[in-house]
Amino acid sequence: MDYANETFLDRPVDRRSFIKRGIAFVGASAYTPPAFLRAVFDEETRPLTPASVVDYAAKRHVLVVLQMAGGNDGLNTVIPVGDRAYFDARPTIALNPEASLPLAQGFALNPAMTGMKTLYDRGQLGVVLGVGYPNPNRSHFRSMDIWHSASMDETTDTGWIGRLLDATKHEQDSMWRAANIGSQQALSLRSQSSFVPSLGSVPDYVFQTDNSFRAEGPRRQQSFLQLQRQAEALAVQAEYGSQLAFVSKTGLDAYQSTVDLHAAVTEYKTTVTYPTTPLASALKTSAQLITSNLATGVCYVTTGGFDTHSNQQVTQNGLLGGVSNALLAFYDDLQAQGIADQVTTVVWSEFGRRVKENGSRGTDHGTANPMFVVGGGVRPGMHGEQPSVANLDGSGDLKYTTDFRSVYASVIAQRFKIDPKDVLGGSYPALPLYA
Amino acid sequence: MALATERQRIQHLLRRAGFGYSPEELREYVALGLPGTIDRLLNPERVDDAAASAAAGAFREKAIQDRQALLSTWHARLVLTKRPLQEKLTYFWHDHWATGIRKVNAPSYMLVQNEAIRAGALGKFRDLAMAMTRDPAMMIWLDNRDNVAKAPNENFAREFLELFTLGEGRLYTEKDVKEAARALTGWRVTAAKVNPDDNFPVATGVVFMPRQFDAGTKTFLGQTGKLGDEDIVRIVTSKRECADYIGEKLWRFFAVSNPTAAMIQRTTDAYFANDTSIREMLRVILTSEEMYSEAAYRWRIKSPVEHVVNTTRALGLTDRVPRIARDTQSEGQALFDPPSVAGWNWGEAWVNSNTLLARVNFANDVTRRGKPGQLMNLDAAALLQANNAGRTADAAVDFALDLLVGGDVDRATRATLIEHIGGTHYSLSEASRSGALQGLFYLVLTMPLAQLA
Repeated sequence: MDYANETFLDRPVDRRSFIKRGIAFVGASAYTPPAFLRAVFDEETRPLTPASVVDYAAKRHVLVVLQMAGGNDGLNTVIPVGDRAYFDARPTIALNPEASLPLAQGFALNPAMTGMKTLYDRGQLGVVLGVGYPNPNRSHFRSMDIWHSASMDETTDTGWIGRLLDATKHEQDSMWRAANIGSQQALSLRSQSSFVPSLGSVPDYVFQTDNSFRAEGPRRQQSFLQLQRQAEALAVQAEYGSQLAFVSKTGLDAYQSTVDLHAAVTEYKTTVTYPTTPLASALKTSAQLITSNLATGVCYVTTGGFDTHSNQQVTQNGLLGGVSNALLAFYDDLQAQGIADQVTTVVWSEFGRRVKENGSRGTDHGTANPMFVVGGGVRPGMHGEQPSVANLDGSGDLKYTTDFRSVYASVIAQRFKIDPKDVLGGSYPALPLYA
Repeated sequence: MALATERQRIQHLLRRAGFGYSPEELREYVALGLPGTIDRLLNPERVDDAAASAAAGAFREKAIQDRQALLSTWHARLVLTKRPLQEKLTYFWHDHWATGIRKVNAPSYMLVQNEAIRAGALGKFRDLAMAMTRDPAMMIWLDNRDNVAKAPNENFAREFLELFTLGEGRLYTEKDVKEAARALTGWRVTAAKVNPDDNFPVATGVVFMPRQFDAGTKTFLGQTGKLGDEDIVRIVTSKRECADYIGEKLWRFFAVSNPTAAMIQRTTDAYFANDTSIREMLRVILTSEEMYSEAAYRWRIKSPVEHVVNTTRALGLTDRVPRIARDTQSEGQALFDPPSVAGWNWGEAWVNSNTLLARVNFANDVTRRGKPGQLMNLDAAALLQANNAGRTADAAVDFALDLLVGGDVDRATRATLIEHIGGTHYSLSEASRSGALQGLFYLVLTMPLAQLA
């Protein structure tokens, strides 16, 4: 598109010089921006995080969450190759142990997961076995809610990461301390008081403007901001005020976050070639944010399609290969930037699948599942205990051995150094995830 | 007082039970009055929709194989239809019986399903449930085509109860899911049969295979027998819980965020008194006092399809049909591609900084100075003049607000807009030359109020 790169930021100065000046303005107030920019900075100022905070030497830790939506079949992901019962339950879809990628203790990775195998061999992959929760719910939607909210209570309307953000909030925080990559905001990020921007990609995250009128662009922008503020004021009295307040606040935050983003994300370069999938692009965008001076501490990415009720092998292997290759590229990139040990990626899915295959070379909804914890200095190898394929619950599903909230709690305590009770509302036994 | 005038009530009704209105459409409906408008909406078969059918038909043959054409055939209808409620319900049911082309992988099946939904949108819920149970796209989407006596696949059975008819955990047990799955065995998908000369598919594209059917005895929701798919549909749709579940969802979609038990009772009564009629449930809702109450007003966040289609219709930008796919996708919704079998997440989930930015950039695109003779971008001066609203700044602002948010806007907001187009120094030619007039529509479209229905 010919106009995709015209943005409010481009005028009246070109992007590059604006960025320099924008940073100069934040750092030292010698530079006075043009009037329309002043309106933004003066009234809407949310200073960028001081550079000293964005100091990797200070061991800032970053959390990336990768959700595999649809219920990934864990038994064909981390395969119990030593267990006869697995092969008996899956006459057509059990994976060939010869072709699978060996891990420790009688387990192997799905043959498509060569990227994860590389991470494992490098000592950057932890596998937590048998993760689930009591009285498992086999509905995708209810189970996702439980994982997002980290709560069995249906009325909980915040996510576990949202609460983590609220618990670690400071006055001077960057708007970009957490980011959702994609057009649907993950429920894990829902918080009481923290705005979390959502973006597709850095270059697309702009307010476009019609440049066929000279002075109209800046005037339009001022009127736009004024109308959002007037709506925010009106929202206090209107019956429909909560929706109006929500939309106008998001509008103002969206605007300010485009300004902050383009002022900060400038110099990202990578020597790594990422795969050309949406997931890999989302991880690349995450790398871009993490390495910028926005102090982004949390990135959330989602990929779907794991609901494999039929012809599972082809579909699931393709999806797992995609996840695995994207993660390898991401960690290659982080490694090259010298920060792989500061970025933990947690990979989860809302449930595993039935042990016994169904009549369509697929599997129906099940329960416990392995989780992956990648990078961030994780203790590599297998954590927790594999549920027995021979001792199943009444529906023919695995009995979980580790509560998923133990994994959250371990990451929160061992990497973010805060008491997980404040975030999870209860105590869960910690795993020795980190050395 | 919200919705004080009949005109405002009609505007509100058209935002909910339709896709907004152009100035001409609004004049027509206002002349009919509120009862006349409701009556027309509820009886789409009495309204000639030839123009929409022709525009949709132009993409239809190609849509059998081509995903873009599939989207355009529906988008053309959304933009041009004179049967707004039928189309709104087609959209509602697509979200309800959410089926995704990613897995179905054949536009022809999606087209057949879309036309089946449109044909049954206002009919009997039992018939619609039956049509969807034997719908080829649905059979692929939820694997019922692979559900055979020897090895049942419970995917469709579970979602049928959880999402389509009863609601999660209501009335049924895990055992009912398994028994229903057995009863739903025996169906295979054949090539989709689409007749390009007709508005409706000539055959569904499924076939019954008696040898794959589990002919044994099943017990489902307390009834025992050699049940088949028709029995499952009949038993479920005869349950009060089903009527309640569907009624509650309709109340939420069309009227208020929190329907009371008494309100749900009224739609459930209409459902049973009229042989599961969707039309009669809608009549209860659209003629209710609650539909026009303070609690019903402006609480609902427009979906991307509502936002894009309402804007396109209001501004008469019919040449945009092929672009609507891109526009709605950036805002977070691609028809025929729901995020999951539960459909889209509504309400605040529609709005985050990414999707709101997309809405603002969409407004920028439609108000960009366009090429003469093309109905792709707004010509603000022409629109105002055609509606005799260009003479003063007040008239121009009030026209834009009435068209795009149904008026009823606070004084400060109105003043900002008047100021933007020149205030006391306003002239149509100057505001047009500077771009401020195009800007007026950009600003109204990007107002928080314009995101609410």
